[in-house]
Amino acid sequence: MSEKRIRLLPHYADDYHSLRRLAWEVWDHLWPWSRHSFRRGRFAVALSFGLATVVTAVWVLAAVGRVASNATLGWWIGWSVFEVLVRLESKPYIKDGPWWGRNYRSANLMDMICYVSFKNLLIAALLFLAIRVLKALAWIGG
Amino acid sequence: MRPFHLLSFIRILCTLSWLLWSASGFGSAYEAPLPSQLSTDPDLCAYAPCKDVIPGADAFSPRKGRPTYVEAYRNTGERDDKHPETNSARRELIGYVFLSTDIVDIPGYSGKPVVTLIGMDTRGVITGARILKHSEPILLVGIPEEKLTKFIGQYVGKFAGSKVEIGTARADGDSIGLDAISGATVTVIAQNQVMMRSSYAIAKQVGIIKADPKVPARFVPSAETQDWPALLADGLIRHLRVRPDEVGVADSGEPYIDMYFGYLNVPVVGRSVLGPENWQRLMADLKPDEHALFIVANGTASFKGSGFVRGGIYDRIQVVQDVDTHTFRDTDYLNLYGIAAAGAPTYRESGIFILRGGNFSAAYPWSLVFLANKLDQQTGTKTFANFDREYWLPARTLEGGRPEIVKPAPTWLRIWQAKLSQIIGLILLLAATATLYAMRDRLVRRATRKDKRWVSIPKYLIWTLSAGFIGFYSLAQPSITQILTWFHSLVFHWRWELFLSDPLIFIFWMFIIVTVFIWGRGLFCGWLCPYGALSEISFKIAGALGLKRFQFHLPMRWHDRLKWLKYGIFALLVVVSFYSMSTAERMAEVEPFKSTFFVGGVWNRTWPFVLYWVMLAVAGLFIERPFCKYLCPLGAGLAMPTTFRWFALKRKAECETCHACQKGCGSLAIEDTGRIDQRECLLCLECQILYYDDHTCPPLTKERRRRTRSGLELTPIGADGYYIPIKPIVARTMEETDREALNKSVRAEPVEAQVASALGFDKLSPNGVVLDQRFHR
Ligand code: SF4
Ligand code: SF4
Repeated sequence: MSEKRIRLLPHYADDYHSLRRLAWEVWDHLWPWSRHSFRRGRFAVALSFGLATVVTAVWVLAAVGRVASNATLGWWIGWSVFEVLVRLESKPYIKDGPWWGRNYRSANLMDMICYVSFKNLLIAALLFLAIRVLKALAWIGG
Repeated sequence: MRPFHLLSFIRILCTLSWLLWSASGFGSAYEAPLPSQLSTDPDLCAYAPCKDVIPGADAFSPRKGRPTYVEAYRNTGERDDKHPETNSARRELIGYVFLSTDIVDIPGYSGKPVVTLIGMDTRGVITGARILKHSEPILLVGIPEEKLTKFIGQYVGKFAGSKVEIGTARADGDSIGLDAISGATVTVIAQNQVMMRSSYAIAKQVGIIKADPKVPARFVPSAETQDWPALLADGLIRHLRVRPDEVGVADSGEPYIDMYFGYLNVPVVGRSVLGPENWQRLMADLKPDEHALFIVANGTASFKGSGFVRGGIYDRIQVVQDVDTHTFRDTDYLNLYGIAAAGAPTYRESGIFILRGGNFSAAYPWSLVFLANKLDQQTGTKTFANFDREYWLPARTLEGGRPEIVKPAPTWLRIWQAKLSQIIGLILLLAATATLYAMRDRLVRRATRKDKRWVSIPKYLIWTLSAGFIGFYSLAQPSITQILTWFHSLVFHWRWELFLSDPLIFIFWMFIIVTVFIWGRGLFCGWLCPYGALSEISFKIAGALGLKRFQFHLPMRWHDRLKWLKYGIFALLVVVSFYSMSTAERMAEVEPFKSTFFVGGVWNRTWPFVLYWVMLAVAGLFIERPFCKYLCPLGAGLAMPTTFRWFALKRKAECETCHACQKGCGSLAIEDTGRIDQRECLLCLECQILYYDDHTCPPLTKERRRRTRSGLELTPIGADGYYIPIKPIVARTMEETDREALNKSVRAEPVEAQVASALGFDKLSPNGVVLDQRFHR
């Protein structure tokens, strides 16, 4: 296997300890950066590009009068764009097959777009549900 | 994608959208702009075509009543402009005209009301109805608006007090049946309620209909008092809160309105809230058929409003029981000077309201309704919205307990009951397809490149059922608009009833979501999508009829660029939907599904749709599924999560250099490296047939020839796609062997593969040689 490919896979790819590996994966889902990416100049480019998207998206959405929900959505889109760029640089791999497996492979741009948008959609749905539950609790509490 | 292609793509899309848009019904009532005075101006008929709904009327009164209506007159003699005061004597009252949104707030499928103008004569017979504005996606699913107009037309001649139901009338003769619009069940059920409730409310108000008297409540005598929390816990006081975002106003940290209310006639509530003496006095002042309720409230809005100052009517609150609506005038109001019950909240506004007669009985449930103007942030227009909370006295306060009430089943449940046979049919088809696909290893092992019947016959059967039963008969073709609607509901306002109201689509989507994560989008797209199935069938038929030699694949370099179009369309639709859902829905006409399945033939549509549909159909005779490969936003939306499907198709190490499968892949999903692009793969199983075919797959052919030449046994082909190596083992019992083979499979195979092997892949050769299944390269 080429050196490049080895570098592109996570360091825990060969860890047979499932729980430890899954814990690393959770960390990877939540933290897109790696030490390696922080040292590279493209990070700044990605950051400014991502932020510019956020500002534009929020601005456009605010302009059409959907401030509250759409501002959040704008942030979500902007953040996702930013995360895709960061991950391609720092953690450019995804997992194929079932979640309990170890079939990691290097990701191309489309893989990363799919991974990030979908992961963030799930996180957004979870947050949404949490907000709903909190609202319901607040309502019950008077 | 290169900038050139992106620009050309956007240009093509804009032109297409414009063409489709311009053809899809301008001048209709769909999202028609209405003058803001329509719902407020005293002269309703200056803004609405009242004469259209009550033939023969020459003049109309200003708005009157609660809820409001106008009277329609016919002149019986010449107008006398010299003595105008005598004109009214020469005109005759012939009926009433009213606007549905002045009376009821019943949302349609879109979540917005259908604004309907209704005319009724003095006998309570409906004389006409016109839809002034609707937001139903009815047009967008290809149902012409005339169908809605025709549906509304069925009410003409019906009495306002009749029981009208959608579908066939009940055998007991108690109800009148109306023809529904297939594909728009939710719209027509909602519209039926709008028509009948509005007409009933006005007919009752003007005295045409006398309501069936309800048995009055008799209370259990009691000298008991309770504190506020106990009253709340027992449901003797109810709470209604409206958040600012529910009426489209900015959140100031305070609720829009936060009301507590209760029914004072019942001793425990009256004594606790007013104190025993005050309550005795109030009861002594009430006539037998009069009822008192109290309301206290906080919030930025007022439940008293300002309307009563002008018209003597409190226009923010109503009491609704069944179809009866009760409003309050200034003469029905008494001051509430304080609350005796301990633990009551502080409040900003309070009052006691007397409900006088009008067929109200506290023994039955009723609701307090708060009426608000809802500001649509997107368009800046105000619509009418109401919020209610039910109140029903606990059984212990009523002599004889609560009366028995049969509540009608919710609308969604009635739809499920009505479509039961279709639901069962769909579930069976989906279950059969999933089972068959789960057994694909068995099927592809039996098939060969030359004889694919084990795979193709079940697939053709499923395609036929899918196009015929799901598509043409049940109109349950999934569409990108559903993804957009769900996405919006998630962000803005989740409504379960909306999703449950279309059972076939609901079940199909549950299936799609689950199977996309298990196998990828290919199971839906490749096997079950009605339009996809139709494309495949027509492609195969064209091939069989002699067009095969003209059928071709686009060159890979073109395919690799064009396949991104569908993702672009999908992303564009998602983004546009946040700007305007109705624009996105119109743009979703890029899917030819509506023209294919919903309109009773594409020829019933306007020419741009026909042209687009024909173009796709003709292209589909020569190129396999051009729409699916390059344009379908739904396919793209499903392809994205397919990145994470659990069970992949099988590949061998040699696939990296051998391009045999790649040539046969109709979806062009196999890359030069031999890797399958799961987002493009439609799970046709062609490559899996080759995987086990020892007369086609090069590594297998080579090994077969070698063994045949050397006189070695041709062992079965293992799950890894290679002949199982021959490895003699001595002195082991069959039992041990079985156990070992089982353990190995448990360790090495995914769950799905274990199920497959449990279905009968033998690991023993007939001569007792143990077959090692580990990966051999
Ligand atoms: S790509 Fe679209 S039309 Fe084709 S099968 Fe999939 S959903 Fe159906
Ligand atoms: S040949 Fe194989 S890769 Fe191509 S669509 Fe069929 S199953 Fe998918």
